[in-house]
Amino acid sequence: MQRIAWLWFGTLVFLLGFSLTCAAAGTWESQPGEFKGQTITVLITDPHSAVVESWKPEWEALTGAKVEMVVVPYASLYDKMMTDFITGTGAYDLICWPSTWAGDVMGGEWVLPLDALMQEYGYPDWDDVVPAIKLIVSWGGKVYAFPYDGDCHMLYYRKDALENPEYRAKFKEKYGYEYNIPPKSWEEILHIAEFFTGWDWDNDGETEYGIAFIAQRKTQAMWSYLDIAMQYAAQPGVAPFFDPDTMEPQVNNPGWVEAMDVIQKLTKFAPPGLLSYGYSELRQAFVSGNSAIALDWGDIGILEQSPEKYGSKVKGLLGYGPLPGAMKTYDFKAKQWIEGYNQVNFLNFGGWVFSISKFSKNPVPAYKFATYFTSPERSLLDVCGVHGYTGANPWRFSHFKNVDKWVEGGWSKESVTKYLETIQTILSDPKAITDLRIPGAAEYYDYLDLYLAEVLSGTKAPKDACDAIYNEWVKITEAHGKEKQRALYRESLGLPAE
Amino acid sequence: MRKDAVKFGFLSPGLLYLMAMAVFPLVWSLTLSFYRWKAATAAPRTFVGFGNFLSIFFRDPRFWNSLRFTVLYVAIVVSIELSLGLLLAYILSERIRFRNFFRVLFLLPMAAPPIAVAFMWRMLLNPDAGIVVKILNALGFNMVRWLTDARFAPFVLMAVDIWEWTPFMFLGLLAAMQSLPVALYDAAQVDGASRGQAFWFITFPLLLPIMVTLILLRAIDAFKLFELVFGITGGGPGTSTESLSYYIYTVGFQYFDLGYACALSWVFLLIVLIMANFLLQRLRRGI
Repeated sequence: MQRIAWLWFGTLVFLLGFSLTCAAAGTWESQPGEFKGQTITVLITDPHSAVVESWKPEWEALTGAKVEMVVVPYASLYDKMMTDFITGTGAYDLICWPSTWAGDVMGGEWVLPLDALMQEYGYPDWDDVVPAIKLIVSWGGKVYAFPYDGDCHMLYYRKDALENPEYRAKFKEKYGYEYNIPPKSWEEILHIAEFFTGWDWDNDGETEYGIAFIAQRKTQAMWSYLDIAMQYAAQPGVAPFFDPDTMEPQVNNPGWVEAMDVIQKLTKFAPPGLLSYGYSELRQAFVSGNSAIALDWGDIGILEQSPEKYGSKVKGLLGYGPLPGAMKTYDFKAKQWIEGYNQVNFLNFGGWVFSISKFSKNPVPAYKFATYFTSPERSLLDVCGVHGYTGANPWRFSHFKNVDKWVEGGWSKESVTKYLETIQTILSDPKAITDLRIPGAAEYYDYLDLYLAEVLSGTKAPKDACDAIYNEWVKITEAHGKEKQRALYRESLGLPAE
Repeated sequence: MRKDAVKFGFLSPGLLYLMAMAVFPLVWSLTLSFYRWKAATAAPRTFVGFGNFLSIFFRDPRFWNSLRFTVLYVAIVVSIELSLGLLLAYILSERIRFRNFFRVLFLLPMAAPPIAVAFMWRMLLNPDAGIVVKILNALGFNMVRWLTDARFAPFVLMAVDIWEWTPFMFLGLLAAMQSLPVALYDAAQVDGASRGQAFWFITFPLLLPIMVTLILLRAIDAFKLFELVFGITGGGPGTSTESLSYYIYTVGFQYFDLGYACALSWVFLLIVLIMANFLLQRLRRGI
């Protein structure tokens, strides 16, 4: 009898152990020692390397694997990544890249579709991912990347400047109207920026300026311009890049030219170093208190909270709002201006994502490492400021709900509520326009960036620059194949193939 | 016959290495220059004949802009570096106090890696926090946007290049000056020649061959201008500081238009060869 009992007990222990092993093999959660002796290499830029740095020690200790990072500047990321793909070297297992390159990276099938891995190992709460972010990690109905960052530009303004009753009265006296808080249109922004330029409105003994934005060549300046172009050249849900029927670039239509004119005017109301502002310089300059308004992703908000770490002089002084709209917009189909207020939310950049190279020799450890740090609880620490400035902004529903963690990250409850509300409104807007996601997007945008730089430095007139961009976009489209591009553009907009 | 085979046996590893490392890439890149190949999209290569070369010469204003900038850049920096290098070499070849200290000091910029030099100057010239900009502002240049104004940025790059590479000219010319025969100067002194006359009629002509060599080496190197553009201006504002090398890099590694980038590289190579040939001929003819 006793022997039978022992037999039963032994069988139970075996079954328990077996089922645990099976469960461990089929879970996204990393298991102790499961990748002992293996090394994965991550290609990444700053400040995103901070995320990997944060989680690497404990994941290495848990799994026995080693994580090596190759950190490159943003300007070199595309060539490092694509060179590895084209040569088939497989030097990188996991790559952190901006989803606006989806056409080249996912469309070129250089990275592994994750569906099979997701099915085998599961994914940490897929339903928690905001739909707009699910969209940017997919191509042709397959998931090719791990969501990691919820990107959209927003407006930051200095409350101590714009909400000051004395300044508001002076503004009204000068311009004959009261501005909105947050400002609602670019016409208003032009006046506000002019008003707050060239004097010490925060009484810190230094001259301040009206507006700051990314303006340096090859550091994402085109997204500052697109913030304006979206308002003058697009309508909610109608992307303005190409005519989806003919694939004719729209970049030199009157709406785009008007936006180019506005951004050129804004340079007069910006700090003298504006044209040297990449995203890092902009963020540092703005939190050091040199301008009344700035455009950026959610990152300025994070830097704002840390006077000790990032030299912020504006903690608690910033207000947040969606992108300003415009008082007219150009309808490229009807080829005419539509008078009246127009405001479009734009998912600039789309967000950084992680993908596994198709040449990776360690796809499973790479998958498990990525799911490890993008799980709801861990990714929250990366976006809320607990891990400092990581470049990752909220992208899960749970990130928007757990306000206490944000408070732990240095925020006041009032600030973070407004900040999260602004981002969530933009990300959840069903008519928000997604970024250009067709093959060659990096090249289209490089030419946009190139001629924008000439406009910002005053060496080219807005119309000439837009015409030059148009000519380049035509050439790029033809080089990639006009019909193929048209089909992919339509697909990226969710339009039916013809 | 057997001896030849042995000789060939010894030579063959070197020959194979040369073929693999030098000849094959050249032939391969020449072949690619006749294709359209957008490598990033994994699209197949298409044969376009001389299409890429025709585009370069007749439909690519950016090529001409970068060539114009590069030629101007080379002409200005090499001339100034040669003049300054000659002046410094002349001064430091004399017996002056702290001569050895100055010799080492002047060599330091050249010893730094060009990309480090580029980032260092980018920091120094930062419009908000750069110490050089602050000093220049204090001197009354506060309206000048050194790196963000297309009228000034090219000259800033040239100034950094001159700072970095004048020591190269200085080093070469100093070595040459110290090897000149003293007897000639003694004879000139006996004939009553002034120091200026000794320089123009003895030193300068004797230095000319080494000068041409230095110009050749420096001009080829300056023609390949990349790091300073990459690190300081990114080719901007607009394309005002886009060198030919940087443009080729952009086409090749930003747009991954590999066929066109190969064609541009061959045009670049031909330009450098023509320039080098011209200078070498002058050298052979004794200037």
